[in-house]
Amino acid sequence: MTVSTPPVTATLDLRGQARPDRRIGVRVLAALPLLALVLLLPARSYTFGHIAAYAAIFVMVGLSMNVLTGYTGQISLGHQAFVGLGALTAANLIHTGTTPADPFMFGVGMVSAAAASGAAALLLGAVALRIRGLYLALVTLVFGSVFADAIFTLPSLNGQDAGVSAYRPSAISGEYRFYLFAVAMVAVCFYVDVCVRRTKLGRGLVALRDNELVASAFGVNVLGYKLLGFTISGAIAGLAGGVFAFWTQEFSDKDFTAAAGFNLALTFVVMVVVGGLANRGGVIAAAIFFALVSPLSPMMGTIAQHTGWLNFYNDHKFYISNVIGAVLLLQTVILNPGGLGQVIRPFARWFAGHPFALHDPDGDSGVGAMEGSSVRA
Amino acid sequence: MSVLEVRDLTIRFGGLTAIDGLNLKVDEWEIVGLMGPNGAGKTTAFNCITGFYKPSHGQVLYKGRDVTKLPPHRKAALGIGRTFQNVGMVKSETVLENLLTAQHTKTGYSALQAVAGSGVVRQREKQLAQRAEAILELLGLADIRDRRLGALPYGTLKLLELGCALATDPELLLLDEPSSGMGPEESHQLGDRLLALRKELGVTMLLIEHHVPLVTAVCDYVYVLNFGKLLAEGEPEHVRNHPEVVAAYLGGEAPAALAATEVPDDQQALAEATQ
Amino acid sequence: MHEVLASGSQFSIQLNFLSPLIDGIANGAAYGLLGLGLVLLYKSNRIFNFAQGEFATVGAIATYVFYAGTGFLPKLPFFLAAVIGLLVATGVAMLTERLVIRPMFERAKVILVVGTVGVALLLIGLEGLLPYPKTQSLPEISDVLRVQPFVTRIDNVAILDQDVAKVVMLALLALGAFFFFRYTRTGTAILAVSQDATAARVVGISVERISLISWGIAGLLGGVAGVLLAVPPAGSVTPGAFTGTTLTVAFAAAVLGGMTSLPGAFVGGILLGLIESFANADASFVPLLSHVQNGQAELAVFVVLLAVLMFRPRGLLGQEA
Repeated sequence: MTVSTPPVTATLDLRGQARPDRRIGVRVLAALPLLALVLLLPARSYTFGHIAAYAAIFVMVGLSMNVLTGYTGQISLGHQAFVGLGALTAANLIHTGTTPADPFMFGVGMVSAAAASGAAALLLGAVALRIRGLYLALVTLVFGSVFADAIFTLPSLNGQDAGVSAYRPSAISGEYRFYLFAVAMVAVCFYVDVCVRRTKLGRGLVALRDNELVASAFGVNVLGYKLLGFTISGAIAGLAGGVFAFWTQEFSDKDFTAAAGFNLALTFVVMVVVGGLANRGGVIAAAIFFALVSPLSPMMGTIAQHTGWLNFYNDHKFYISNVIGAVLLLQTVILNPGGLGQVIRPFARWFAGHPFALHDPDGDSGVGAMEGSSVRA
Repeated sequence: MSVLEVRDLTIRFGGLTAIDGLNLKVDEWEIVGLMGPNGAGKTTAFNCITGFYKPSHGQVLYKGRDVTKLPPHRKAALGIGRTFQNVGMVKSETVLENLLTAQHTKTGYSALQAVAGSGVVRQREKQLAQRAEAILELLGLADIRDRRLGALPYGTLKLLELGCALATDPELLLLDEPSSGMGPEESHQLGDRLLALRKELGVTMLLIEHHVPLVTAVCDYVYVLNFGKLLAEGEPEHVRNHPEVVAAYLGGEAPAALAATEVPDDQQALAEATQ
Repeated sequence: MHEVLASGSQFSIQLNFLSPLIDGIANGAAYGLLGLGLVLLYKSNRIFNFAQGEFATVGAIATYVFYAGTGFLPKLPFFLAAVIGLLVATGVAMLTERLVIRPMFERAKVILVVGTVGVALLLIGLEGLLPYPKTQSLPEISDVLRVQPFVTRIDNVAILDQDVAKVVMLALLALGAFFFFRYTRTGTAILAVSQDATAARVVGISVERISLISWGIAGLLGGVAGVLLAVPPAGSVTPGAFTGTTLTVAFAAAVLGGMTSLPGAFVGGILLGLIESFANADASFVPLLSHVQNGQAELAVFVVLLAVLMFRPRGLLGQEA
């Protein structure tokens, strides 16, 4: 038998399978308000555009975690290092000084941000491959804080401790335009995520996540694919970091080191678990939510101001977001392992063209991502 | 030239010699059985042949080429497919997705093309799906294509696993107890199915099997292992009447066991012992 | 000329050596204290407890609140306050077991670990949100013992009584833990469960009860570590005080010791404390470290952790990988 042509196909009658019914019209109509919400609402005010762009950055990080934890089944408690490295690379490379960034250099900087973090993740992955189970979680935790504290604080890289300025190119200097740019970057990451999941890449990753022996019997290069998962995830996180530098218009190591970095790393983990493992839609929803309640978000401040809690909020905002994240995380792992994704799945399925049903009998419980993963003691 | 040749294969775990100087040969188009009591080292032999274990000594030749040291995924790519004793598939995926995953080495596009979402990918994916559905059709499993594996009965899973192994497009197929979890009727059907597969697809097979009627029905040649050593080999009819084989299944040293148990009919005893 | 140089460098080496040595042992004792709790929970539940640092913080804050008195709470003598603080830490740990760990007993270990991350986050948040005066601090050891501050000096290097207390306490607790696991029914039952839960169940040990007790002990150990770490002048009580760097190094200490070995946590803690303080004191002897301005100590810890995991996963004293 020759290798190339699939003989089975040749000998058998192929019936076309019935596709799910797609009444596109209704769904497009239903999607319009959602689209309008995403694209037009942030145009209303400076603050809204600012926080919406921040949410977009969180969504990118969420997608990055989705590839690593959701598909590949590897846990990372040090993802802030990859985001930070992206921000550092972009800001230092584009080197705006006090003038708006040159559009060409800006593009180069974004690509380099992704490349630098992808390479760093590849390196961590190559080391981590020899380390199994829960110990990997520990290694990523220590890696994150060490990498940030040791590299980001080098005076030559953090603008002699004063921060590296990162002024936006004039075309996207406004908050709303920058938001649109961030959404475009989200679209790129989303596209990569979809491409990964729908091809042999995603299938290989999920296979090795569930069972490494089976994956290699199917011909998946387990070590290579783990590295691939790390690299893609790192690159997406790096791109998110590049966008983040130009969101704050500065790279400052203080955003990623010590307690701030630790908080960020944990928020990313909370995001991907609360969203639902290997569940793109759920992770995106969770990322937006956590961006909105993050201590950097003006939204919470505005609410506090109108309810007369502003002083208390300003003194306690980190703790408030900690408690919100922790409560959601705990209720997810204990009571609702499918996460947010499980809750929104009926709607997502409907948008994808399936009939509406609250219970999807063959739905992925979402639990598989971690329960079945090779990440265990 | 034989498809598979195992020469003097030995593997030790610490002080335990799990396989001791095993020699076997599988020629093209043959279906060869590997038998032996529990713990004889059959699955270990499979794991050595497919690259999951590194043998301490000896060689594995695939179509005349030394593949002893290749990792499992390289061997899968070369056309050595396998199934597992306790069903090896991707639990969180659907039936169809499993069949797609199994075609990993036959996708015909690169990782870079996949990430970039190139047009080739879409076209190839369509072909992969067609081939997956053809395999489902062949095994009569078309109506469960979108089901997840969790809820499926064991017998169905075993059959589906055979489908996945076929999807890797093997020239040599190693089946680890394909009839486990099946009743006599199903296992009879499985025998017919294996013969049909050989006829239609030209697959060479090596199978671990306890079910004697199935072995007798499909195997051209049988090797029997005991305590990691080759005990007997030959045509199925010859092997199952071999006194040492019978003794191995009943336990104990061959002559002593034979003397002590006074087996009236070797064939019946073997059948009883293996049930 | 040569002799002068030689004697001069000898002197400076001695100074450079002694101070980090003492710092290292004292900090190492604290890491070892936290590490004991981590090892205990790894033995009993096979998980990494990322909330261990917060058990310490909770113990320290509770001690402080009862010591300083706030709202309707009276001011209590330090030792009474410390006892209550330790009880609070123990209680929080047992609550964690009942509310978070127990419902997920049969789930994948990694989920339980994520659960402990959640507990850590929650405790940090609550520590920050609960109203208590955040300006004062715990008394110094010498005040508590009503003695003159006994600052021992060796070659002009001061050894703080706080540091002595840490080392003594670690030694006592490690010894206590050793006897507990060697000679008491509960201790041996915990070991039995850690080796084979099913077999332990078969001989009539309640795995659930053992788990609860283990968490209680881990909370107590954490609380002791917290109170000792929070004692001034070096320590303080701030929300999340012992989760960042302290917990990370404590983990590395436990891993270095073998993760399953209680004496290992002790040895690992001291070793890592030393590595850290020497890396901080004079990193110039390691080529890689000399280029780094910040975080030399953490970098050194990371390298040790990686090296242990890659080349000797069972650590110095562990029985298994």
